[in-house]
Amino acid sequence: MGKLNKIFIFLGITVAMLLSGISAMAQGYSGERFYDGEHKNVISGYVMGGSNVVTGGFGGLSGTYVRHFTPRWHLAGDAQMQFGKKLFSVDVRGGYRLPVKYGNIYFTGKIMYNYYGKFGFHEQAYNLSATWESAYVDIRIGESIIHYHSHVWGKGWGYTEPLTFTFGFGVNIRHRNNPWNLGLFIRNYDQFYYENWNINWGLRWHARVKEPWTLFGELNVRPAGSISQLASKYETSMKIGLRYKM
Amino acid sequence: MKAKYILIAALVAVAMTQTSCEKVSPQGVLMAGTGVEDRVEMSELYYKQYLCDASNDIVLDDEGYTFLVGGDSHLTTDPGRMDEMFAIGLENNDLMYCHLGDIADTKAEYYIRLDSLIQEAKMRYVNKYYTRNDLGRWQRKDDPDDKIGYEYDVIKFPFYPVVGNHDLTHNGWALWSNIFNSSFYEFDVILGYDEFGQEIRDHFIFLDTASGTLGKKQVELIEKGLLDGDGMYYRHTFVFSHTNIFRPSASQFASTFAREETYFLLKQFDKWDASIVFCGHVHAWDEREYNAVYFLTLDSMSERNSPNPGDYLVRVRVSKDGDLSFEKVRMNYVAKKK
Repeated sequence: MGKLNKIFIFLGITVAMLLSGISAMAQGYSGERFYDGEHKNVISGYVMGGSNVVTGGFGGLSGTYVRHFTPRWHLAGDAQMQFGKKLFSVDVRGGYRLPVKYGNIYFTGKIMYNYYGKFGFHEQAYNLSATWESAYVDIRIGESIIHYHSHVWGKGWGYTEPLTFTFGFGVNIRHRNNPWNLGLFIRNYDQFYYENWNINWGLRWHARVKEPWTLFGELNVRPAGSISQLASKYETSMKIGLRYKM
Repeated sequence: MKAKYILIAALVAVAMTQTSCEKVSPQGVLMAGTGVEDRVEMSELYYKQYLCDASNDIVLDDEGYTFLVGGDSHLTTDPGRMDEMFAIGLENNDLMYCHLGDIADTKAEYYIRLDSLIQEAKMRYVNKYYTRNDLGRWQRKDDPDDKIGYEYDVIKFPFYPVVGNHDLTHNGWALWSNIFNSSFYEFDVILGYDEFGQEIRDHFIFLDTASGTLGKKQVELIEKGLLDGDGMYYRHTFVFSHTNIFRPSASQFASTFAREETYFLLKQFDKWDASIVFCGHVHAWDEREYNAVYFLTLDSMSERNSPNPGDYLVRVRVSKDGDLSFEKVRMNYVAKKK
């Protein structure tokens, strides 16, 4: 398949997703408010593009469905495809919301599978986290277990990393209930990966276009190395998507 | 030699304006040095001009060889452990010394000390393996037929380091590259011919992973096969990287390679058919086999990080018939109390 054909197919799928309303937003970090008081189910999706040191330019699509069973309990699923990295990801997550004086605390469990086709690696991650979300600030801490193995099963020896600490911090310039908002984040994970001391940072925003649609986006700068390794440039990416409340 | 010291002294003068008075400045941990793309670009020029031909290969007429590996020496004012590494290698007739980076720690004056140590070690090395001939040149003691010999400066002291993150701060790259020139390189050790008349070659690859990434340029060069060697069949391939892949335990820092890069490297080690990958950075011992590649992560040999005597070095034995083994080597130097 020619490169041009691939680009047309990619653009076609993107436009189709946006127009059909299948798309909208990611999980609870791209400006999504976890719980809006109406416990509506949400379908969302985004397109992304960026540049990575190892894989070069890449683009991708992602979709999410969140179902609130009660005002306290929810279950969600996410999927993505990234071209360039040949990355395919799916996850299932569920959580419980505990209202507290200042905001909510969410206890979330997540099971994720990634296939890095460019390198032939399968990866599974299991994460437990607690997130405190207030009007302007959200903080997440958790632990992950990450296992990977090569797809060459004859030599595909698995490796399970010891527990990996998860942390994230975000701040918004406006109260979380505003129809548009802008914020900054710093964290060692993204929707489809958990890292160690590679600490991402970036800008997030969302804007209600017209009920029930919300536009959202994110600029994500992902370094390599820890701070002690001078945190070199590794990946820069942009996401833009739509969220639809059902 | 004099010009080299003048150049180092000039670099010290520049670097001193950037450094503070502490032995290891916290600024050195946080401030950016020369980025990986710049380092690789500079190193590529040097590599292509001076290192990529067969003249850097080591040819042996022996039944095997050993080499010594150490890492994270973080040399400051006390040269004891580095000196001990050279002494151990010389005593055991190790073919070469490989170092996993973070050789000296963030200050220019430490690199002058390091360079002096290397020159002193080279002197001892030359005195052990060479003798002056009638022409006043240096002739290998095990090669009496070589009547021409070598000029002293031409003799290479077999110390092969990779660059570490602590080697980069406070203009560290300027000093590091002045001594070691290129942050990535490869060469072969050739052990004669096998029964089928084919050269017995082992391949040594040194990567620049000091920044927790190979960087775009180095990835491209690797993908183009720059470090694949001479297209020969390699019996063993040994890879050296400052940044570790595997994490010794939950209490140690994890690898700082991002996920795609971890998988890229593991795939590349498989492609190179690596026998052993040596890593440092995390200051803890770890050994494991993954995808039929042995990974050894070495503890710090620094007297500050590891003040007590311990097994901080690794010696690898490679025989002509292909047998490969390694052993941990004890270091006994303890810093003098002030």
